[in-house]
Amino acid sequence: MDNREVILDIQDLHARFHTQDGVVHAVNGITYQVHAGETLGIVGESGCGKSVSMLSVMDLLAKPPAEVQAEAILFKGEDLQHFSQAEMRKVRGSNMTMIFQDPMTSLNPVLTVGFQIKEPLKLHLGMSDEEATKRAAELLELVNIPEAENRLSDFPHQFSGGMRQRAMVAIALACNPTLLIADEPTTALDVTIQAQLVELVKGIQAKLGMALIWITHDLGVVAGLAERVIVMYAGFVVEDAQIDELYGNPLHPYTLALLKSLPRLDQRKEEALATIEGLPPSLLERPQSCPFEPRCEFAKPKCKESNPLLEAVGPDHKIACWVDIKTGELR
Amino acid sequence: MARYIFRRILQFIPVLIAISLFTFVLMQAIPGGPFDFAGDRSLPPTIVANLEAKYHLDWPMWKQYLSYMIGDDILGEEGGSRGVIRGDFGPSYHFRGQTVADIIKITLPVSAQLGFMSLLLAIIIGIPAGIIAALNQNSWIDYTTTFGAVMFVSIPNMVLAPILIWIFALILGWFPVAGWGAKPPYLLGFLPTALNKEFFSHAIMPVFALGTGSAAGIARLTRASLLQVIGEDYIRTARAKGLRERAVIVIHALKNSLIPVVTILGPAFAALLTGTFIVEQIFGINGMGKHFVTSVGNRDYQVITSVTLLYAVVLVIANLVVDITYAWLDPRIRYD
Ligand SMILES: Nc1ncnc2c1ncn2[C@@H]1O[C@H](COP(=O)(O)OP(=O)(O)OP(=O)(O)O)[C@@H](O)[C@H]1O
Ligand SMILES: [Mg+2]
Repeated sequence: MDNREVILDIQDLHARFHTQDGVVHAVNGITYQVHAGETLGIVGESGCGKSVSMLSVMDLLAKPPAEVQAEAILFKGEDLQHFSQAEMRKVRGSNMTMIFQDPMTSLNPVLTVGFQIKEPLKLHLGMSDEEATKRAAELLELVNIPEAENRLSDFPHQFSGGMRQRAMVAIALACNPTLLIADEPTTALDVTIQAQLVELVKGIQAKLGMALIWITHDLGVVAGLAERVIVMYAGFVVEDAQIDELYGNPLHPYTLALLKSLPRLDQRKEEALATIEGLPPSLLERPQSCPFEPRCEFAKPKCKESNPLLEAVGPDHKIACWVDIKTGELR
Repeated sequence: MARYIFRRILQFIPVLIAISLFTFVLMQAIPGGPFDFAGDRSLPPTIVANLEAKYHLDWPMWKQYLSYMIGDDILGEEGGSRGVIRGDFGPSYHFRGQTVADIIKITLPVSAQLGFMSLLLAIIIGIPAGIIAALNQNSWIDYTTTFGAVMFVSIPNMVLAPILIWIFALILGWFPVAGWGAKPPYLLGFLPTALNKEFFSHAIMPVFALGTGSAAGIARLTRASLLQVIGEDYIRTARAKGLRERAVIVIHALKNSLIPVVTILGPAFAALLTGTFIVEQIFGINGMGKHFVTSVGNRDYQVITSVTLLYAVVLVIANLVVDITYAWLDPRIRYD
């Protein structure tokens, strides 16, 4: 059991999009907690609702077309759903910050990097321009940008992709957040730069102690970073476990399949990587059966009849599955 | 930047020579000459021959062109032309006793006033209208603005001008039917000395007729551009910082969305210039556009070539200003 204070408590979060083709059920009732200082990895295939769930929490989805519902979204004990727009703006960008997938497009091309880092400092901490400039330079230094002071007046196009993402990290760290959400921040970077960024954020987190949610579809990255991992599928959380437990003792068939598809060092060359057959289900209907059932090697008739809920199967280990994959029988 | 501007100006010299040559040759290729008529009557051939000799129209065409461009003394000929290169645009054949420079001095300020006000109208109506429409996307405000924009883009000014005259001058009697409300001398050579009722009551309809098409075009582009920018990732970043929506739009979206708008100001300016040919004609405004059209009918060669050159210079300067503004808006663009 984690004794640290729960800082984010998401209870039964739903997110839907009303589109011309119908209602897209992007997030279908997810529940999980994040503790102070914890690093939580969220993994899952493209389109499984990782970004949408985080954008819902940050209240960054355009409504319409989006519609968000939850039992509660508690941030430091307060329900964000009851916050006014102004109160929400105070949380966003200061206590709870987010960095995004594509560093090439996430910074404004016509404003200097310095201006963009100073913005939250002035807005949330009420700093003067002078103070903000000083702090912005410190922040750039913190994210390992050489000659930080001189780079403040640069425009984003004068930064490399890796540097831009580090500038994004600097913006997100500006006000010492309680929670930093990183939405696939390394996907668009090449491998060495990816590793650098992961190390950088790890180091900063150790120093500043904020909680970190790291979204990725790369289980390898998560392994080196997260304490706990949530696996999502088609808008559901299907497994939630401590990192060692998840890698050593995966209990959901989808997690098992994901792990099998990871390349391993001890793998022989002629051995092909396992892939997961089939495609994720259409999100246009809310599934009544288990959404993974059509692709599942353990599927039983019951899996077609009803959708399993997320249940504790051990201390700090939850899954949403009817089957015990060790025996292949219903639990 | 200075080097860039200098280079652009140098590059433009051959273009000017080509334009002048082309216009000169094309004009003379049109049948008829400047001295075919005096009023309604045609002149006797002997007098025509005398006049043509006086203005060296009996010279071979290459010699006439060089006389016009570089002057008679350099050619080693008798004659008074000092050439365009030394600021002498020659005499008008039609308005005898007046030089081309005299005519430009009188008509250019009027056209400049009309053109400048139309451009201003296009910008100060077009850009805000586009922004308001985009910020209220799919509301009745958006639909009304878009409808208005499509309408005004599609009505040519030669149709709009008579409609305006008919409604506001003839039926309502609010504005004079024709004419221009400012007379020489002009402030700094082109500004009206008094911005009074006389000036504005004459200006309002022609400015409207000339400027609304561009205003509508700018409004549509601004709307589309701002909507596109609002969907960009960096706008989400700005919102994720906790900025108010107003700050997100003003600080993060507007400048980006104006970049494509600035790039069409060059062509829009050209459209205004050619628009003056028609609008000045319809409103009986004694500007350069009207004079240009009349001069073609009169085969007033020197006037036509000189005014064409002047238009070319104005367009090039306008495009240079656009390019500089573009670089100022978008730091990714650097000239050297
Ligand atoms: N504005 C929108 N309108 C309609 N559908 C949307 C919208 N935004 C997201 N979706 C849908 O919601 C689902 C979840 O999207 P989301 O971006 O959360 O996926 P993801 O897990 O982050 O994937 P990726 O790894 O590709 O980033 C997808 O099927 C997507 O098509
Ligand atoms: Mg995503």
